Amino acid sequence: MVKVSLQIDSFQEAFEVLSKSFTISQMINNFLQLLKTNFLPFDIYLFHRTSSDSEWTGIGEGIEKGNHDLSFLNKTSRQIDFFENNKYDVSVVLPLSDSSWLGILLKQKPDGTEFSDIDKITLLIFLQVFDSAHKAFLNQKKEKELIFELNEKIFQLNNLIDTGIELSKYEKRDVLFELALERISSLTNSSSALVKILNIKNNELVQQYTFPVGFSPEKIVNSPHKAEYSFNHFNFTYHFILSEKETRSGTTSFNELDEMLLSAVCRQVQVVIENEYLQQQNLEKEKMEKELNLAAAIQQKILPKELPSIEGYEIAGTNIPSKEVGGDYYDCIKLGDNRYALIIADVAGKGISAALLVNTLNAALYSYLEFNLPLTEMADKLNKLIFNSSPPDKYITFFIAVLNAKSGELDVVNAGHNPILLLRSDGTLEKIEAGGVGLGMLDFGLPFPGQKFMMNKGDKLFLYTDGIPEAMNEKEEDYSEERMINFFINHSKLPANEFIDLLVKDVKLFTGQTEQSDDITLLEILRK
Amino acid sequence: MSAEFNLISELYDKVLVLKTEGYINNTGGEKIAGEFSKYSGIEKVILDLEKSKVVNSIGISYLIEVIEKLSQINGKMVFTNLDPAIEKTFKIMGIFQFAEKAGSVDEALK
Repeated sequence: MVKVSLQIDSFQEAFEVLSKSFTISQMINNFLQLLKTNFLPFDIYLFHRTSSDSEWTGIGEGIEKGNHDLSFLNKTSRQIDFFENNKYDVSVVLPLSDSSWLGILLKQKPDGTEFSDIDKITLLIFLQVFDSAHKAFLNQKKEKELIFELNEKIFQLNNLIDTGIELSKYEKRDVLFELALERISSLTNSSSALVKILNIKNNELVQQYTFPVGFSPEKIVNSPHKAEYSFNHFNFTYHFILSEKETRSGTTSFNELDEMLLSAVCRQVQVVIENEYLQQQNLEKEKMEKELNLAAAIQQKILPKELPSIEGYEIAGTNIPSKEVGGDYYDCIKLGDNRYALIIADVAGKGISAALLVNTLNAALYSYLEFNLPLTEMADKLNKLIFNSSPPDKYITFFIAVLNAKSGELDVVNAGHNPILLLRSDGTLEKIEAGGVGLGMLDFGLPFPGQKFMMNKGDKLFLYTDGIPEAMNEKEEDYSEERMINFFINHSKLPANEFIDLLVKDVKLFTGQTEQSDDITLLEILRK
Repeated sequence: MSAEFNLISELYDKVLVLKTEGYINNTGGEKIAGEFSKYSGIEKVILDLEKSKVVNSIGISYLIEVIEKLSQINGKMVFTNLDPAIEKTFKIMGIFQFAEKAGSVDEALK
């Protein structure tokens, strides 16, 4: 009894040592050492099997399973046998709470003492200690696993939130994709990950990124365990692939949570890409608006603020620019000797380039008019200038008439512009058709033939750009040249400024809520 | 970050300095735990993560295993040059209850 009481402390210590083992195998090894220490006169052999159907495995160094008679362990329930004059002195079969089994064979050394009653009690207590320590070990292991799993879920949630915030900070695409792949690999325990950016039209690979950087994309694509997610944006498909979910014992398939985490990170990437695209669109829109404002400013600076008054004539004109700013131009320039140049022009195209070309035309026109060049020669020079200073798709339809206010004589050149209308006092309408192509269209030396007309009392000359006949309503119908001419004829008795105002109103009435797509420019002169 | 995980090991008496490069996943964690188990009597492991920016929970489980083994002999693990993302992960996983962190290997060696 003294021996047992002395061992009480060591039982407690044994429990602590055993229950703090890292693995079952370490625990059994520790138990073997404890038994050897406490039963010095005996040879002790320990065996373990994972289930009642599996083979016994010897524990400890130097133990050979074949050297032992395992039939002593052939039991189906807990059993402790003590023998006399047998191959072994003690055999123990102990089922454990994880369905595994512990087997012990104990044999007296040649010079050893007998297995006493005290030894029997000590062994029974040690077996109880082992059983309790084993249960405590399993509980602790389960507790640790639960805590680890809980922490892992918190980590995943936290990582997902952080990833969303961090992804939105990156403007550089390579950093964005690398970070997304790093985070999703970490979240799902993937060995590696890939994002392929494909052209949506032909499925051709545009770019790809892997995690870890430099890892073979082919290995990821050909992996047996994959999780995938794709989204399309603009002209590209973004295809994410995770490869090989890791466990402590190898790799496995991805589960539903992994798929959810992958789609969550990919959608965050998609939002970043879409936001970036929208931001870019806004910047372009802002840039375009600035350009249009500049174009409008240039145009408004060139257009006449007020037309000169011509004795014996009434003159009125207007320009209503469209939102995109077309390249319409009109003017009435006093030349001296009671002569006036009436001009209307329309640059093909819109925006700042059209406005700049109008600026060029305006500057050149003033310059050439000073030299009093014949109109045909001036048109030829303007054609060369516009041809050389503009891209191939830019040209100007141009009409100029030099009016001798005293005689009413009109010198006219129409370079590709709409027919100009001359309404005689008797109601006869004459159309001054184009005598040449638009300025800057061709440079083959084609002539710009001039024409001469007389403006008599009561005659009206009406200059316009295609913004009127081509003005469109909600049904996509044109205002039409026919309607415009009828309006011109039917309102021939009106003063020039009233006619201009009324025609503009009629066009607006026709187009309704439809946005004005082109500049509207009008100029009317009436000989009183 | 390299496609392969690399580990440099330096031993100073009973202090093992492990410098990692790459993803601390199953492979990385296994290498760290394996390197630690090569030596006996180690009282301090300094794990320098300057060249590791990503870790997963399998890698962390190996680190916890080393930390537990060290704590059995009153030893400790010290992490150095931690990336903020990894540091946050370790904090959430409760690693710093049983391990320490230092700014550099020299600081951890003191």
